[in-house]
Amino acid sequence: MTSTDFDRRRFLSTAALGGATIVGATALGGVDPDAAFAAQHQPLDPAVPSSSFVEGRVTAIEDGSLLKVAGSYGERNSVRITNATSVWKLYTVDIDAVEPGDGLYARGVAMPDGTIAADAVWVNIVNLEVVIRGIGKNRLAMGHHAGELVGRIHDDHTSASYAGGALTKDLSRIRMGQYARVLGAWRPSDGAIDLARVSVGH
Amino acid sequence: MACSNTYLWAGETTWFCCGAAWGPCASAGGGACGNCRSGSYHGAWPNASAACYSITRPDLCSGEGGIPRRGCGSVMKVVQQCSRAAVCITITDCGPRTHSFCGEATCCSGQCRTNRILDLTPAAFSAIASLNSGKTGVQIYE
Amino acid sequence: MAGLAALVVGVLLVVTGAGKLFSGAAKLRGQAVDTALERRLRIGRAVAVLRLTGGAELVLGGALLALPGAVTGGAVALLGLVFTGYLAWARATAPESSCGCTAADHAPIGVRAFSRAGLVAAGGTAVAFAPVAWWSYAGDRPVLAGVLVAVGAAVVVSVHADVAVPLRRLRLRLLGHPLGGDPAAVPVEGSVELLERSVAWETLNPLVRSGLLEHWDDGDGWRFLRYTGLYAASRPVSVVFALSSRARLGGPPPAIRVALIALDTGEVLPAPTPEPVG
Repeated sequence: MTSTDFDRRRFLSTAALGGATIVGATALGGVDPDAAFAAQHQPLDPAVPSSSFVEGRVTAIEDGSLLKVAGSYGERNSVRITNATSVWKLYTVDIDAVEPGDGLYARGVAMPDGTIAADAVWVNIVNLEVVIRGIGKNRLAMGHHAGELVGRIHDDHTSASYAGGALTKDLSRIRMGQYARVLGAWRPSDGAIDLARVSVGH
Repeated sequence: MACSNTYLWAGETTWFCCGAAWGPCASAGGGACGNCRSGSYHGAWPNASAACYSITRPDLCSGEGGIPRRGCGSVMKVVQQCSRAAVCITITDCGPRTHSFCGEATCCSGQCRTNRILDLTPAAFSAIASLNSGKTGVQIYE
Repeated sequence: MAGLAALVVGVLLVVTGAGKLFSGAAKLRGQAVDTALERRLRIGRAVAVLRLTGGAELVLGGALLALPGAVTGGAVALLGLVFTGYLAWARATAPESSCGCTAADHAPIGVRAFSRAGLVAAGGTAVAFAPVAWWSYAGDRPVLAGVLVAVGAAVVVSVHADVAVPLRRLRLRLLGHPLGGDPAAVPVEGSVELLERSVAWETLNPLVRSGLLEHWDDGDGWRFLRYTGLYAASRPVSVVFALSSRARLGGPPPAIRVALIALDTGEVLPAPTPEPVG
C-alpha cells in the first residue's frame, strides 16, 4: 500500500467513524430509502432483454479500462471499468488481474457510445452444486454433474458456512459425502475452482 | 401470468448458470425447460414439475411441502427482503435441491427467510444482490 | 489369469457392501433420495432395500475372495445382472433418477452406472470359469499378477467413484482431517454478510451501485468496507461502512457507522442522522 493509499484510507476511516451510527432497528434520517428504491429499483420486465448485464469471455483489454467481451450467444460488448467499479476474482481485485480468456458477468449502465459502464464485474465466478468426494490439505475433490472438479483452498480467501451459520475460516467440519454449494473462481488454465466459500447443509 | 404483486412464497435464493456458457457452467445446458440462459432474467423453481419435485424434495423440509407448482414460463417478481430491490423472472429450470439445506435461514431486520426455494440466473440475482454473496432472502410475488 | 478378477471384484463388493450396510441412517437416506427405488417404494423401504443390498454385496464379495469358483462366481455374475436390470428399469421409468449404487454419486443413471454393473457381471463370469484360484496364479507369477490386479483396479476406480471415495475416507481416518482454520477469526466475507443483513445496508442500499471495492482493518478493532454509489441519483460517492472486525452473524447486532464521501472532491457529504430509538 502506498503512502497515498494509506492517507486516503485514514481519511475515509476518520469520516466513517465520525459518521452516522446505525444499530438494531434504528432507521436513518436524511436518506429516504423508499424514494430511492422507487427511482432506482423498478422491477425489470422479463420480456425486455437486459441492456445492463453482460455475460461472456474477455477477448481483449484496451487502454487498461475497456474489456472486450464475447457473449456465449455470439453477442459482443465493451465493458468500461471506472474508479467506481468493483472487480471480483476470488476476492476484490484491480482490473490488472483480469486476463483474456477469463469468463465474466458484469452489471452496469448502457452508455450512449454503446459501451457498458460497469458498476460491478465478477470474473470467472461460479456457484456450483457439488458433492464432497475428497478432502486434501489444500484441495477438495468435488463431484459435479457426472464428473469431478478440483476445488483449491486458499488460506486467506476460503471460508465455510455450516447449515446457514456465519461464515468461518474453520474448514474442519467439511465432511466426505456432503452435498455443498461452492462459490469460487474458475481457473481457465486447468479447470479447477479457487474456493471462496463452501456452504454445506445439515 | 404477469409479474404482479400477489404474494406467493418466501425463502432463500441462490444463483446458478445455464445455457451456453464458459467454464464448468458449459455442462449445465438449457435447463429443464430447454431455454434457460445465464444472461436473461430466468429462475429455477423446485416444483416446476412432478419430476422436478421428486429431485428437489422441498417436502422433506418443514413448512415447504405445500410449495405450489409453477411450470416452465411462469413469471414471478422476486423482492430482496432487506433492500426491497426487485426483479421479474421467468421460470426456465428445476431447482434448487431444497432438501439438502433444510432449516437454513437468512435473516434481515429480525425477519428470517427459511429454506432454499429459488435459484436465479446471474443476470437476475445481480439485479437484487451481489453475485459473490451467493444467496439472499427473498419474497416472491406473481 | 481370469481368477484374478475375484481379487478385484471381491474387494470392490466388500467395500461398497460395507459402505451400505454400516452407514448411518441419515447417510443412507441421503443415498436413497432421488433413486427410482425411493420413488417407487418410499424412503423407508428404499433405505431397507439398500441395506439388504449392501449385506448381499458384502457376503458375496467375501465369498468370492475366500472361495472362488463356479458357485460364487456365478452368484456374483447374477448379482451384476440384477444390478444391470435394475438400472435399465430405473432408466426407463425415472430417467432423471440417480443410481443409488454409491453414496458419492447423485448423477442421473448413465454410462458409468451401467459400466459398474457390467464389471461385476463380467468379473463373476470370469471367476466362474477360471481354472485356478487367484492365490495359485498370484503365487506362480506374482509380478504379472500384481500388474494385472493394478490394471483391473484402475479400471474399477475409473468407473466407480465409491472405490476412490472410501480410499480417501480411509486416508482421512488414518491421518485425520487435514483442514483447519481459526474458528474465532471473522473473514471479510463474514463481515460483508453481516452488513448485507443489517438495517444500515437496508437503508443505504438504494445508493450503493458497486460490489465491495476495498476493505481494511485498523488497529482498534474496526473493519472498513468501501463501496461506490450515487448520491441524490447523480453524484458519485464512496460509501464507507465501519463495524467491529469481530462481529459475526448470530451475535448481537453490531453498531455500524457510515459515511458518504464525494468521489470527485473528497467532500464528506451530509451524514444521515439516526432517528432516536424509542
